Amino acid sequence: MTAQRKSAHLGKRITPYLLVIPVFIYYLIFWVQPVLQQVIRSFLDPTTGQLSLESYRLVLTDPDFIPALRNTAIIVVISVTMEFFIALFLALIIKRDFWGASIFLFLAMLPMALPPVAVGAMWKTGLTTNGWLNSLLHYVGFLPEGEKIYWLAGSTWKMLALIIIIDAWQVIPSVMIILLAGLQNIPKELEEAGYVFGGNYFTVLRKITLPLLRPTIQTAVVLRLIAAIQIWLIVIVLVGFSRLPVLVERIVYYHEEVPRLNISPQMAAGYTMIVTVIVSLAALIYLRLSGAFSRREGG
Amino acid sequence: MNKRMTFALAAVLVVSLLAACAPKTVTVTVEVPVERTVEVEKTVEVPVEVPAKTLVLSSEMFAPPAEQEFFINEILKPFEEETGITVNFQVIKGEDMFDRVTVQQETGHVTTDLVLVFNGRFSWWTDAGYVLPLDEVVSEWTDRTILPAFDRNAVVDGTRYFVPISADVYLTIANNKALDYLPEGVDLNNLTYEQYADWAIAIAEGEGEGKVCVTGVPQKMWIYQFGSSALSYGLNPAGQPEPAFPNVNSEPSAAAWAMWARIGAANGFMPTVLNVDNCVDPLMREEAWLSVTHNARVGQVYASAEAQYTVAPAPSGPAGVGTIAGAHGIGIVKGTANYDAAVQLLEYLTRPEIQVKINKGTGGFIPVVAEALDYLGEDPTDEIIRKALLVLENGVTSYLPISDFQDWGAVKKVFDDVFQQMVLQGDGTVDQALLDEAQARLDALRVEQ
Amino acid sequence: MSTRRQWLKILRGAQMMLFYLVVITLVFVIIGPVFFVVSLSFLSAREAYSYPLPLLPALTVRYQLTHGERGYMLSVYDRVEKEYIPVLDTDDLEKMATYMRSRLGTSVTVQDIEAQIARLQQEDPVYFTKRANLLHNYTTFFQITRDAVPSLIRSLQICALTILISLSIGGMAGYAFARYQFAGRDLLKFSALFVRMFPGIAIALPMVIILAKMGFYDRPIGLSLVYAVGNIALTVWITASIFMGIPESLEEAAEVFGATRLQAFLRITLPLALPGLAAAAMYAFLGAWNETVAALILTQFNPTFSVVVYQSLVGATGQINLAAAGGIVMAIPTVTFTYFIRRYIRQMWGGVTL
Repeated sequence: MTAQRKSAHLGKRITPYLLVIPVFIYYLIFWVQPVLQQVIRSFLDPTTGQLSLESYRLVLTDPDFIPALRNTAIIVVISVTMEFFIALFLALIIKRDFWGASIFLFLAMLPMALPPVAVGAMWKTGLTTNGWLNSLLHYVGFLPEGEKIYWLAGSTWKMLALIIIIDAWQVIPSVMIILLAGLQNIPKELEEAGYVFGGNYFTVLRKITLPLLRPTIQTAVVLRLIAAIQIWLIVIVLVGFSRLPVLVERIVYYHEEVPRLNISPQMAAGYTMIVTVIVSLAALIYLRLSGAFSRREGG
Repeated sequence: MNKRMTFALAAVLVVSLLAACAPKTVTVTVEVPVERTVEVEKTVEVPVEVPAKTLVLSSEMFAPPAEQEFFINEILKPFEEETGITVNFQVIKGEDMFDRVTVQQETGHVTTDLVLVFNGRFSWWTDAGYVLPLDEVVSEWTDRTILPAFDRNAVVDGTRYFVPISADVYLTIANNKALDYLPEGVDLNNLTYEQYADWAIAIAEGEGEGKVCVTGVPQKMWIYQFGSSALSYGLNPAGQPEPAFPNVNSEPSAAAWAMWARIGAANGFMPTVLNVDNCVDPLMREEAWLSVTHNARVGQVYASAEAQYTVAPAPSGPAGVGTIAGAHGIGIVKGTANYDAAVQLLEYLTRPEIQVKINKGTGGFIPVVAEALDYLGEDPTDEIIRKALLVLENGVTSYLPISDFQDWGAVKKVFDDVFQQMVLQGDGTVDQALLDEAQARLDALRVEQ
Repeated sequence: MSTRRQWLKILRGAQMMLFYLVVITLVFVIIGPVFFVVSLSFLSAREAYSYPLPLLPALTVRYQLTHGERGYMLSVYDRVEKEYIPVLDTDDLEKMATYMRSRLGTSVTVQDIEAQIARLQQEDPVYFTKRANLLHNYTTFFQITRDAVPSLIRSLQICALTILISLSIGGMAGYAFARYQFAGRDLLKFSALFVRMFPGIAIALPMVIILAKMGFYDRPIGLSLVYAVGNIALTVWITASIFMGIPESLEEAAEVFGATRLQAFLRITLPLALPGLAAAAMYAFLGAWNETVAALILTQFNPTFSVVVYQSLVGATGQINLAAAGGIVMAIPTVTFTYFIRRYIRQMWGGVTL
């Protein structure tokens, strides 16, 4: 009897590990080896093969490093905040039972369903001077005959703003669907109880809905944060390499645009490691601050 | 709800199982060549006695859909009918192609038989040892002379690894609306760069908007557009005594910079020039009216409405018409299982009449076999080719000395930065200090010979 | 009293109006760009490069033909300039027919042109109108895209397999992280996400080489294995947060009624977690469907659909209308998938029968 209970207890203790192990075996087979290679490479001198911090020195003294860091930070702070609030707003709207809600959800998800080819064609023809954005403004009478807006000419700030807006347009749905999934697990009774006790929409949202949504919010934000720090494709689609350096764009640059430069392997490895450290720290700090680790700990 | 969900889950499961099974059947067709052969014979229709084969030709050329269509239907199909060899033509970016073949070489699954590569990248392939020597093959062709102009990187230490199949130079293209601003007494076919600049400035003043297109996005074609102009001002072609292309700060280069800076200071470039990675789209949208650019791009724009555009040789300078000249060539991949068939295709593609057909049909490339010139006609496309050939014969042409530098992308970047800082944001004068500094950056990229 | 009620009614109506106004504005912001790219895919090459861009493709094209310097001069009516613009001067009628087909999307034969030229003797210039083939870009796209159908099926298989791998492996771990307290839980959960923190672009090539060496070269399953790596991490976190939101008491209640833990999970928790699983599946599907970097290197005779589209469109400068058509074709499966999966993402509370 006790033996049985003991084995049941042991089973219960092992179960979570059994459930988690496949993930790590999978990573071990398909992912760990190239990553380790890259990590080791970042600490080696390519000519002598000895331990060296040269990669890191190179990156930290790269004149593009600080601008890349700054641009990335600006994009991340603005886009993650903005995308989160808009996505939450959309999720809350769609959660309401209104006429057309289901179709609205479908439409709201459309931007994420479009392949890069279509999105590329969309913004290329959209933002170019003789493109559809100016055409549209022309048709509604906003742009007088002969006048044009040069969307793609201008300061770094203007380009940053464009990048943030275009990126937001495409990724908000992916944040929204996670939040929406989380919202639906909140028992209606709890929110109803909130109203019964005299709460209005916003107090119920603040006191009941959002706290219950916390794990989902943490997931949505941390995933978005990780992706936003690694933004690059949209940047080079809009302005090309080097004009508006961001961190991962630098990795791609040394990988693909100047792969044969003597310093390229070190630069790429160094930037890769620094990005990894920055992303991990950002994620860790966010999860700490939002209390993801304190919940149920030791419970 | 429950039922529907169960159904959905079941459906996902079934599809996945199908997918899981699929690879097995797929591998069969890959690993057993006999099965492929049977498949192929069905599509060829004409009964062939030699066992049919499939060649894979990866290409970074003929990427525009119209060119792909032409190359597959008009060039490769007759070859397939003639030999019974099927050619699987795949367009892919140069970098991706190299990565793909790298994986094939490292793992021993060599499935790409031939590569059609830009001559700027020949050295990647020869350095890595991914392509086979072709001297024996070429020596058997007696009816054709391959122009030696493009042997530079194709032949390494006396051994040929690539056979060029088409060449390119830089040409002037103008929207006919720009012709109204052409300074009086100027002949478009004998335009000088100073006249080009005056013309560009006149357009900008008249229209209130610059209309000259160059590629302002880093690492695209500006180095060639600038290089062509510097050659016109007396810069030596690569391989000759210094100052030779690429050069930033010599006297001829400075004269060329001064001409471009003059256009820049008068806002003669299209306002979004820093976002242009290829002049085709801006020219077709009429955001730009004027450009000196790659002949294939010129051909593309011209073909979109021949009556709306005018094509001319690149402008000249004190030293004549300067231009960068490039080529694309084919190599046979080491480890191919279809070597003989690959040689057959190579022989076919370099026949003089096929050369003309390829280069005419795909819009504005130049044949590289001397005998091909006899086959040119009177069509506007023939005229473009003829103009390009004229430049190639009489102009100051330079190849790209890519292997003299660590990384060509970094070389391009030097010129892109000067363009942005001095031509676009400058006051119209030449900042020699800035040029010297850029030259130092450039020299630092040189590899010791 | 009654006026107050009326006021309330009006207020509520106004609120409703405002709500729909917001929704409609949002719909416009989302649909606007999509509308233009769809419209672009139906425009002829000439229309796609005109300014202002037409909102909708023209159904007919009006031509003018007259004598030219080289042969016959073809002009096209421009809807904006309101005049005929000369485009082609040639005596090569085959070339003219090709031009009218490829640039203007009108199917014209050499005989048609000869008939118009015959009319030139009575009247000069002659005018004629041709119907535009709105699907022109799509037919061209399929003409140049080889193996479209087999690669499409292959891609769907890869997507399904990717979803299956990520949801099963990732979902299990997600459940463990949500339901069990165990030593190292936070660390493991965080490290499961680490895969996404390491810039994938830096290891794409070595990872693919490993796969190829393991014998997965040119096989769909190889790509699924690559794609699943990043998706497992996502799935772990999404499912964990969703399972956390489902009260454990529900499962316990079921167990009280004699269900095993597995039964309780399958009957109670899984259906409730469906929105989260659907969201994770959506990520996996889209990621696998659109990926080209690994697919280009790892395939040769068995390309994915994204690869064949890449090969058709990589050089499509000057043919943005064709690129748009290719993009739309590529979007059809993803949009369809989105359409059906939305039911599961927005599955209202109470949709589960206990």
